[in-house]
Formats: sequence, C-alpha cells, structure tokens
Amino acid sequence: MRALVVGGSGSGKSAYAEQLATLLSERRTYIATMRSEGREAAERISRHRAQRAGLGFETIERPDSLAAASATVRGGVVLVDDLGNLVANALFFPDGSMADPREVLDRLDNEVKGLARAFDHVVLVSNEVGAEGLHEQDSTNVWVRLIGALNCLIATTFDEVTEVVCGVPCQVKGMLS
Amino acid sequence: MILVIGGIASGKRSYVVSLGYGEAQMGCALYDGKPVLCGLEEILRDGALDASAIEDVRSRAVVTCCEVGMGVVPMDASERAWRERVGRTCSSLAADADMVVRMVCGIPQTIKG
Repeated sequence: MRALVVGGSGSGKSAYAEQLATLLSERRTYIATMRSEGREAAERISRHRAQRAGLGFETIERPDSLAAASATVRGGVVLVDDLGNLVANALFFPDGSMADPREVLDRLDNEVKGLARAFDHVVLVSNEVGAEGLHEQDSTNVWVRLIGALNCLIATTFDEVTEVVCGVPCQVKGMLS
Repeated sequence: MILVIGGIASGKRSYVVSLGYGEAQMGCALYDGKPVLCGLEEILRDGALDASAIEDVRSRAVVTCCEVGMGVVPMDASERAWRERVGRTCSSLAADADMVVRMVCGIPQTIKG
C-alpha cells in the first residue's frame, strides 16, 4: 500500500502515520528528514523519537534525498516524516541560494517512485501549508507551491490519501477510515 | 461535548446558533459558566491549559476553535509554539468529544460522531 498522510501543525499526522505503518508490516524503516539544528529541532526530534519508541522502526536520517534509502530492496514498510522538511532542505542551500524548484519537484517525485520499488509499503507524511494567502517572501511562496505540487503528484498515484484533523483521520482518497 | 473547528470566518458561530444557542449562552473566557466556549485558540495564547482549565473546557456543551496550523510555520518561536499548542489541545479534546465538526465555507462536516 502507498499512503499519503497530510495535516497541519500539531494535527496528529505523525502519530496516525506511525500507527498505520505498524499495521502494514513488522519490518519497519523510518526516514527522518529534519536536520538537528537548534534546541527546538532537538526537542521535536526527541518528542517524535519517544512517540516511535517501542514501535520497532529502524531509523535512518535523510534530510535532503530519499535516493540512498531506496538503493537496495529492503521490503517491509517505510515511513517518511516529513516531506515539508525534505522539500525545504532540497530547495534552500546553506549559502542562501535556491535550487530550481522544477528540478527539485522532478527529483523528489522520482525518489518517491524509487521508494515504492524498494519497499512493499510506503507511508509519507506531508504538510498542509497552503491555507493562507501569499507570503511577503517569494522564496516562502516557492516552498509552499512546491509542497502543494508534490502532494498533488503523489496523490495521483498513491492508493490512500488521508488528512488528519485534530487527530481524526479524514479520508480523501482510498478505503482506509 | 461538540468540538467545532474551522478557519477564520468559516461559519463556526453561525453553526453554533443553528444548534439552538443564543449569544447570551456563548462566552470566550474560562470559568464563565456558559454552555458554549468560543475561540479556544485565543485562550491558548498565554500557554497550555492546566488540569482545572481542561476540565472546564471539557464540561462545556460546545467548544469552538480556529484551525491555525495549516499555513506556513511562522518565523516567531512563540507563534510556532502557539500553533502547535492549539493543534495538540484540539487533538486531545477531539479524542474525548462526542462530535467533531469542521466548518468549510459555512458547511458543517462531521468528522467524528
């Protein structure tokens, strides 16, 4: 099964995705995308680790590319949390310059397809960030549009699309409920 | 308890009126003894609810809260923390709520109950 789980900040999307992944397979790989920079990131990472503890995930850190994770066939379920970080890390370089958003979109779309070949089940967590108007910074708007476009692309081929609202899973596409 | 969520001006208050509650029964403060608590997100500005505040919120017939977590994560750390707090508080309230209604363009969508 290939499932896309979206939601806003604090919506409970990660917890839902973890529960779904544990139901899909006993062989569980977790791809963490957040760079551990600063206290807030560290706190968030440790909160997610505590939430996952005991669920039997092998954790690998891939903040800007999924390619290496799917280089070998691993089987089981892979959970990627989350695409917002992955897109930001792929789009914005440390020196302040930006990658070509079209190329980032194509690359990440291909990498997601690669995951589907390397694992039996794929669960992706993504972010709902477009429910405001345009932002003052053009680079922010590029990021918002890129996540929206990637979500749309993934949703066309994935079996399940679920929006988590206040911890309640709302099915957008597919059979899960 | 019925938890009513939705964006700004999505029709939350009109929906509460349609349930039969008048303005006099709606308040926006903790411990005001009214059946409807409106605007939980503003109550969460100052920090997380303590145990007695949570109990007060849970005892209401209807609680409305703005959905604030679906835009870009703000640059300001306290704004980020507030959005997370609103999301997590709503998730916790939704777990125990009899009904969760999400307003979209004035249309109530019952996502739980």
